[in-house]
Amino acid sequence: MGPAPAREHLRGASGEAEVLEPVLEGTVRKKNKMSSRKRPVAGSQAESLLQPVKLSREELYKEPTNEELNRLRETEILFHSSLLRLQVEELLKEIRLSEKKKDRIDVFLREVNQRIKKVPSTPETELIDQAWLPAGVQVPLHQVPYSVKGSFRFLPPTQVIVVGSYPLSTCTRPNINVDIALTMPKEILQDKDLLNQRYFRKRALYLAYLAHHLAQDPLFGSVRFSYTNGCHLKPSLLLRPHGKDEHLVTVRLHPCPPPDFFRPCRLLPTKNNVRSTWYQGQSHPGDGKPEPPTPHYNTWVLQDTALEYHMQLLSAVLGSAQGLKDGVTLLKVWLRQRELNTGLGGFNGFLISMLVAFLVSTRKIHTTMSGYQVLRSVLQFLATTDLTINGISLCLSTDPSLPTLADFHQAFPVVFLDSSGRLNLCADVTASTYHQVQHEARLSTVLLDSKADDGFQLLLMTRKPMVRSFDHILHVRPVSRLQAACHRLKLCPELQDNGGDYVSAVLGPLTALLEQGLGTRLQLLAHSRPPVPEWDISQDPPKHKDSGALTLGLLLQPEGLTSVLELGPEADQPKASDFRQFWGSRSELRRFQDGAIREAVVWQAASLYQKRLIPHQVVTHLLALHADIPETCVHYVGGFLDALIQGPKETSSTGEEALTMAVRCYDDLSRLLWGLEGLPLTVSAVQGAHPVLRYTEVFPPTPVRPAYSFHEHLRERALLLPRSDKPCPAYVEPMTVVCHLEGSGQWPQNAEAVRRVRAAFQLRLAELLTQQHGLQCCATATHTDVLKDGFVFRIRVAYQREPQILREVQSPEGMISLRDTPASLRLERDTKHLPLLTSALHGLQQQHPAFSGVARLAKRWVRAQLLGEGLTDECLDLVTAALFLHPEPFTPPSSPQVGFLRFLSLISTFDWKNNPLIVNLNNELTVEEQVEIRSGFLAARTRLPVMVLMTPQDRKSSVWTQDGPSAQILQQLVILAAEALPILEKQLMDPRGPGDIRTVFRPPLDIYDVLIRLSPRHIPRHRQAVDCPAASFCRGQLKEPRPSSLMPVLGYDPPQIYLTQLREAFGDLALFFYDQHGGEVIGVLWKPTSFQPQPFKASSTKGHMMVSQGEEVVMVPNVEAILEDFAVLGEGLVQAVEARSERWTV
Amino acid sequence: MVARGKKRATRDPDGRVLSPPGYSAIPIKFSEKQRASHYLYAREHRVREGAKSSRPQKRTLFVLNVPPYCSEECLSRLLAPCGPVQSVELQEKPDLVESPKESKSKFFHPKPIPGFRVAYVVFQRPSGVAAALALRDPLLVSTESHPVLSGVHKWIHDYGDSVADPEALRVEVDTFMEAYDKKIAEEEAKAKEEEGVPDEEGWVKVTRRGRRPVLPRTEAASLRVLERERRKRARKELLNFYAWQHRETKMEHLAQLRKKFEEDKQRIELLRAQRKFRPY
Repeated sequence: MGPAPAREHLRGASGEAEVLEPVLEGTVRKKNKMSSRKRPVAGSQAESLLQPVKLSREELYKEPTNEELNRLRETEILFHSSLLRLQVEELLKEIRLSEKKKDRIDVFLREVNQRIKKVPSTPETELIDQAWLPAGVQVPLHQVPYSVKGSFRFLPPTQVIVVGSYPLSTCTRPNINVDIALTMPKEILQDKDLLNQRYFRKRALYLAYLAHHLAQDPLFGSVRFSYTNGCHLKPSLLLRPHGKDEHLVTVRLHPCPPPDFFRPCRLLPTKNNVRSTWYQGQSHPGDGKPEPPTPHYNTWVLQDTALEYHMQLLSAVLGSAQGLKDGVTLLKVWLRQRELNTGLGGFNGFLISMLVAFLVSTRKIHTTMSGYQVLRSVLQFLATTDLTINGISLCLSTDPSLPTLADFHQAFPVVFLDSSGRLNLCADVTASTYHQVQHEARLSTVLLDSKADDGFQLLLMTRKPMVRSFDHILHVRPVSRLQAACHRLKLCPELQDNGGDYVSAVLGPLTALLEQGLGTRLQLLAHSRPPVPEWDISQDPPKHKDSGALTLGLLLQPEGLTSVLELGPEADQPKASDFRQFWGSRSELRRFQDGAIREAVVWQAASLYQKRLIPHQVVTHLLALHADIPETCVHYVGGFLDALIQGPKETSSTGEEALTMAVRCYDDLSRLLWGLEGLPLTVSAVQGAHPVLRYTEVFPPTPVRPAYSFHEHLRERALLLPRSDKPCPAYVEPMTVVCHLEGSGQWPQNAEAVRRVRAAFQLRLAELLTQQHGLQCCATATHTDVLKDGFVFRIRVAYQREPQILREVQSPEGMISLRDTPASLRLERDTKHLPLLTSALHGLQQQHPAFSGVARLAKRWVRAQLLGEGLTDECLDLVTAALFLHPEPFTPPSSPQVGFLRFLSLISTFDWKNNPLIVNLNNELTVEEQVEIRSGFLAARTRLPVMVLMTPQDRKSSVWTQDGPSAQILQQLVILAAEALPILEKQLMDPRGPGDIRTVFRPPLDIYDVLIRLSPRHIPRHRQAVDCPAASFCRGQLKEPRPSSLMPVLGYDPPQIYLTQLREAFGDLALFFYDQHGGEVIGVLWKPTSFQPQPFKASSTKGHMMVSQGEEVVMVPNVEAILEDFAVLGEGLVQAVEARSERWTV
Repeated sequence: MVARGKKRATRDPDGRVLSPPGYSAIPIKFSEKQRASHYLYAREHRVREGAKSSRPQKRTLFVLNVPPYCSEECLSRLLAPCGPVQSVELQEKPDLVESPKESKSKFFHPKPIPGFRVAYVVFQRPSGVAAALALRDPLLVSTESHPVLSGVHKWIHDYGDSVADPEALRVEVDTFMEAYDKKIAEEEAKAKEEEGVPDEEGWVKVTRRGRRPVLPRTEAASLRVLERERRKRARKELLNFYAWQHRETKMEHLAQLRKKFEEDKQRIELLRAQRKFRPY
């Protein structure tokens, strides 16, 4: 009988306070479990709610101590606010290694050291003879080509030292790694070991033998291989302790050559150390072609030689300065949240430490700085310095034999030299990775400068997974296809350099190709760095093709997306042939209006939806043309979700064009209204107040063309009425337009009289529009419906002072004071706030073309989850607007897909209980005003609704969430969003294709007590359902356009009428849920409070019956009769009423 | 929550339907087809104060729990066999004090959507009340001879009804405005008459319409005056002039910082409790 957790939230069992429990992403399951247990104690809820601080006078005004003053001053100088300081301190506490664990790790390290030294040596053998290797261990390296000269023997290392972040105490929890450098004895190596991967072979054999011995030791829980920083030539050995300490630490062993063994001049970026004859396995033709340099290969050797030296440098710089260490730790968190630190060429902790060392050496950072200041300075430096053009160097010597920075720029995309002047620390970093780092740094500096209240959260605590940061995602699968691409792009020297790793060899040229092709459409191109694999010592190392798929992320430039044309040079210029070669058959000669004849590429795209997907066309074309990657291997993820907001039978557009058409028609109408002659008062303003007019209606209206035979006629009023023997006619929702009339002394000052005068105006308006413009009109007391070009508008006349009149209350002394009443608030909302909001969001759409798509997807999803009734249109639109106005730490979304993902993440992670969501429309609020809103919010929290949205026009009351959602509905929404997000992200990031994208749009129905099935015949919007029905009914619309002079049936939606009746009759007993877009089922949840037997009360007998319980006679709901009422009230519409739960006696 | 297995009875030992003390239960169903029925709980209408004309003592039946598909006409028809019915009034809640009914315009006060309601049924003779209280057989709202629309048919019917007749609306508005203008004109004439004329004690009422208009008596106006006064005073005051003022501003600044610090600490506490400092 245990209720499903979600159900419990919705229902709001008795005694539950009207507050929300925070649901964190990823912890939903746990939370669910918690909430399905007994209600938490009231005390714990009060704790989790922020309360305004109350300090006594004495506490506030006591004499400050010296210590306090110092701390305040320090905060002012070193951090930008006390909150930030506290937050940074807390974060560091959370990720720093505790002393206790450190002691345990130290003990383990000592043990490791002893075991390594005890490994016995072996006799010398040829390198290719590996039979001596014990069984059960494989060499952790692809030995291609296999044959090399040289011989190997194992001797214990001469020196074992700990390097990396652990001794610097900048390592971060979780996943503590300790790096140990093992210096191989000189006797193992020979002079020419630098050549043809011989050194790397020996290194791998050394590890393999070591692994075999250490694996037999009971001290270790697991002994595995991995690659050092993802480099395929450099395996390392991972050791983890046995037993409960297994997750405490991972020790990584890196063998390295004895110091000064290799001559540094052999390892300059211009030198070759992998001979083509050996690598390609053929005798050199001897055409005198010089051997290609192998800069990466050389760097990898150099890295091994410099391990100890770098360690000394870093400990000298960071050694005593706690602020610098904190800074490095924060930067590591920053990088990790942005997924920048993993894989080959990642921007790892070592690089960032070296960068801090560089900035200390150039005096940009001082050792007394705080961690926050270090973070800030490094970000500032990264944002402003482009290392792909101007490399930096730690080297101070002026030795002329050293290569220049320019030499390094020739060989590497990103240059940052260490203090020897020979090693490029950023050798593996690709240009696009560095640009991504720069982009992130730039965003972060802006965020820090903006003094936002939640800067810390956004900067350091928010994850930025690829699928949520980039507008479009692109998978290339299978990866083995890239090998062919390497040959096509003539990258053999690079392959030789990279030891056969075709993925890293092709990355640079491939990204450069796409960047050039996408041009102005692209803001940033990023590639995934596949995670470093780990494997058992008895297995072969993973192949290159095992790394899954290559994933690219495109951040689009909204301005560039509107054009379908790629303009090339004029036909007679020499550049024209380059252009032709680049675009291949797509390039054509075109004559332009200014007379120029140019090369150009024109993409096929008519609607905004297709234009958004032009990058898809560009990418597939270029990859097929230049890299020999066919279309079937490119999985482009950008428009999958768009199908949800495409109208029925529509495949080429997501409705932006249809919305624009409706808005244009509205503009025409407002012009007519302005110019109307014969009104007693002139029109002072015409404002739209409907979702269509702010581009956020899920399904845009289409011009109506009613078939007369399908309807009943009302000749004298030129109206059509629904007929009971036909299916329900198409649903036409009139678009509300507010028409303000000028103020005048003639207006009466009495609410009832004002309503009559307004009605008179409505009649007059209809009359004049018909007379002067021949429009079909229909006037009622509150509005006038106008049919124009197939669209129906509902004009509401408004008088500015009317809310004021409704507010007036006269006290007994004759003083007139103003008090808000429900009627005045409603009127003010409809005639003042709604038009303002509509025009602000209309403006937002002009700035961000993706706004419409995101808002509609979000609304669609909420409604599909049957929660559309609890959340008003405006409230959802505002939440979406917040994604565009406050995108930090992202950039404003340029595609519906990424915007929708962020909507889900915002809904599920925002702390609705303790924070207002401030939507700074038109950027009207200053930072100080926002602070004021926040403090006002805290003081008034208990009086405000559970979900609070603040705008510049509405700083105190949160107009759009006053009537809902309730705490239970919001809680349910948060839970659903938190569950949908990971599912959807996983689908989109799956390189094999997303599968069924509609999964997250289907609502869970098992939580409801009763399901009312409706008959599609009377659901006018049946075709809009998430899963479009195969067949539906004719809705009385003509295919051919024909001017209609009869007013169609307006706002007639049987399910909605039915729902209002149900809510009115049984609202005290149950909650009703329905998807207005073609839902075929209404979900009913009983309210448990109303099912408690109650003593008889005359005012609350609604639907109840009397039963005897023991001696007493009590009231309980008459469930059986109510279930039959459901069918009676919806006769014709209701197909079946299914009572599904066992919990209510039926 | 209704626990299963617990014995519940809807009928008393004599086989009669249970009803609250003082009421009698009358089963009611929509039509023959329904198996379960709702129960109307009815009793004679009694008020302490003198009998009002619209709901006379003895002849009025007070009915609770009238289902949404049962309209005034319908109830009247159902109770007709007990005796001729004079009037039926349906409303949301039972009212304690009878309020005067004003006839509401159908254009400006649309009919509310019905839920469960209470009814006051006035019979022509007192015997009707007694007969109604003795009813035991289920009443049927919709029968073959008097079908009641529900569901889709009702909505289509309602849609047709909701289409307003502009002419009727115009007439309504015109008559109302005529009456309103007349009322205003009368008031004005009366005010003009009284203008400047002292009452018995010699007081003269000053209005906005006089030769020298005064401030309107509204809250907003008086607040405005107070605000102006306050600003005038603030302008004259010297700030940071005396040493004690300096000291106080400094102290005030410190107090602000302390307050902010306390707030921040609370916020941090909360975040820590929610484990918000785990970055990943």
